[in-house]
Amino acid sequence: MEIFGGVLYGFQVALQPINLLYCFIGVFIGTLVGVLPGLGPAAAIALLLPSTFAASPVAAIIMLAGIYYGAMYGGSTTSILVNIPGEAASVVTCLDGHAMARQGRAGAALGIAAFGSFIAGTLSVIALTFLAPFLARVTLRFGPPEYFALMTLGLMLLTFFARESTVKTLMMAAVGLLCGTVGQDTISGRFRFAFGIRTLEDGLGLVPVIMGLFGISEVLLNLEQREQQREIFAPPTTALFPTREDWRASTVPILRGSVLGFFLGILPGAGAIIASFASYAVEKRASRHPERFGAGAIEGVAGPEAANNAAAGGAFIPLLTLGIPANAVMAILLGALMIHGLQPGPLLVKQAPDVFWGIITSMYIGNAMLLVLNLPLIPMWARLLRVPYTVMYPFILLFCLIGAYSVANSVGDGIVMWVFGIVGYLLKKFDYEGAPLILAMVIGPMMEEALRQSLILSAGSFEIFVSRPIAAGFLAAAVILLVLPLVRRRSLPA
Amino acid sequence: MSRDRVSGLFWLAVALFAAAQGLALKLGSLHRPGPGFFPFWGGVVLGLLSIVLVVRSPAGNAPGGARLRPDNARPVVAVGAVLGYLLLLEVLGFVAVTFLFLLLLLRLERRSWTFSAASAGAGAVGCYVLFQLWLKTQLPTGPLGF
Repeated sequence: MEIFGGVLYGFQVALQPINLLYCFIGVFIGTLVGVLPGLGPAAAIALLLPSTFAASPVAAIIMLAGIYYGAMYGGSTTSILVNIPGEAASVVTCLDGHAMARQGRAGAALGIAAFGSFIAGTLSVIALTFLAPFLARVTLRFGPPEYFALMTLGLMLLTFFARESTVKTLMMAAVGLLCGTVGQDTISGRFRFAFGIRTLEDGLGLVPVIMGLFGISEVLLNLEQREQQREIFAPPTTALFPTREDWRASTVPILRGSVLGFFLGILPGAGAIIASFASYAVEKRASRHPERFGAGAIEGVAGPEAANNAAAGGAFIPLLTLGIPANAVMAILLGALMIHGLQPGPLLVKQAPDVFWGIITSMYIGNAMLLVLNLPLIPMWARLLRVPYTVMYPFILLFCLIGAYSVANSVGDGIVMWVFGIVGYLLKKFDYEGAPLILAMVIGPMMEEALRQSLILSAGSFEIFVSRPIAAGFLAAAVILLVLPLVRRRSLPA
Repeated sequence: MSRDRVSGLFWLAVALFAAAQGLALKLGSLHRPGPGFFPFWGGVVLGLLSIVLVVRSPAGNAPGGARLRPDNARPVVAVGAVLGYLLLLEVLGFVAVTFLFLLLLLRLERRSWTFSAASAGAGAVGCYVLFQLWLKTQLPTGPLGF
């Protein structure tokens, strides 16, 4: 009954008025960034991280987590009403969600997206509640070799789920690993790639790099395109509740999306985007009328929207049990936990049970808030979407500037963001993805330490990675993932 | 040259640089890997991958794909404005530089003087109140004390 006690304790923490307030602010801002195209949850959380320095660790993480899953709710609104994804994980929702809006069924689409999100979000938090403490106990026995092998597996998973080519994804991971070595070496104390620059001696800051890669570069890419006239479907003020017929069609897709999303969310590199696409593909295949997909099939909204919310919950598992982030957002949360003096990983549940259980239970509350909040606010979001991008982008740039500067009150961090903004812009132009770079940059220092400690343990023998069964298993899986795409390509006629 | 070849050669150069730096930092032994161990091998892996990319890429200019040259100068202006903001931030102070930054970008988007000035003023003061007064972020002050 350890879990029961934990949940009870968690609710005591999460229901404290100050934490409730932070939870509310988090999900509200999350919905906002979800609605606004061109500002994703990763950049938003990075931006708000410095503002949580004064808060307690629990309140800070509750709010930042709320932004993440809140964005999953908000993204669907823009997809349905404007046919532009408000957020990357809502791309597929455009297909059938917007088609439904064109048929005058925007209300049903928005409604099922909100309810589906709520159901999936709650189910995945329940799964998280039971799975996380169990996994934390298992991973407690991991030593440096197991960690190194697991992180290698994580990087390989990243390439497996990548949209761009395997080689380019691996390259981005390598660049990220190198970026992670900038600064002072923890073991020898030597400076690496610092060139005598103060900002670099402290290492590349995660916040400025993320703001650059996901904030600034996104604005630059958007600026290049000519502004299109947005056609916004007037949001219905009534009839947001799906009919009984809608529910019959959506229940199974929501449940399937929840399971699929949760497990894809756990895997590094997969996450909400892949989960939503996978759910759409599954629903289309399972449907008796696949031809309706793209023409306003409610299953095509319900499944993916459930999946991306469930993935948001699943993504917390590796963070809370291993201290390894599954995506860019989790990487910032990892940074946030460490800034607040906590070490994410298997010991978190013992060392800071208030944080561990507080975060998990706050997600039950946050999801409920989102359901209540989301539908009544839709008219407000619709009005916000009428603000032209030419007016919006100077403010997005400004927020990025404030965010990058205020982490350490350093113009140097701003310059790092500026450089990575240009880098991110060029990466997109040359068909590279930024996410593997970020993940590898965060994992890099942990991986290096685990590798060097393992080699010290084994007196220089790589056998340690093969002789320990768990480490060997992870590495074998990593090799299979690396080889699989090559084999698959061979067997398919070009 | 195809775009993959251009980017591949770029990363190859980065990889060589990283590996060279790694060597200079001392690799150490396998018993006790030194500070250069990880950068060196990271550089080697990146270098090998870049070579694979360059070799596999077609020699000619591949058709399709996004255009490299932007359709307009707006990204360049934005990049310049952000840099200018950072360079002037600690000279002029947060409120002044934010006002100028917003005013410039909004004017360049052909918004009227009144609209631009009003939005820039509201944005600068609003952010000051939100971040400095409410969230207690330490923003740089200018010669006038804000």
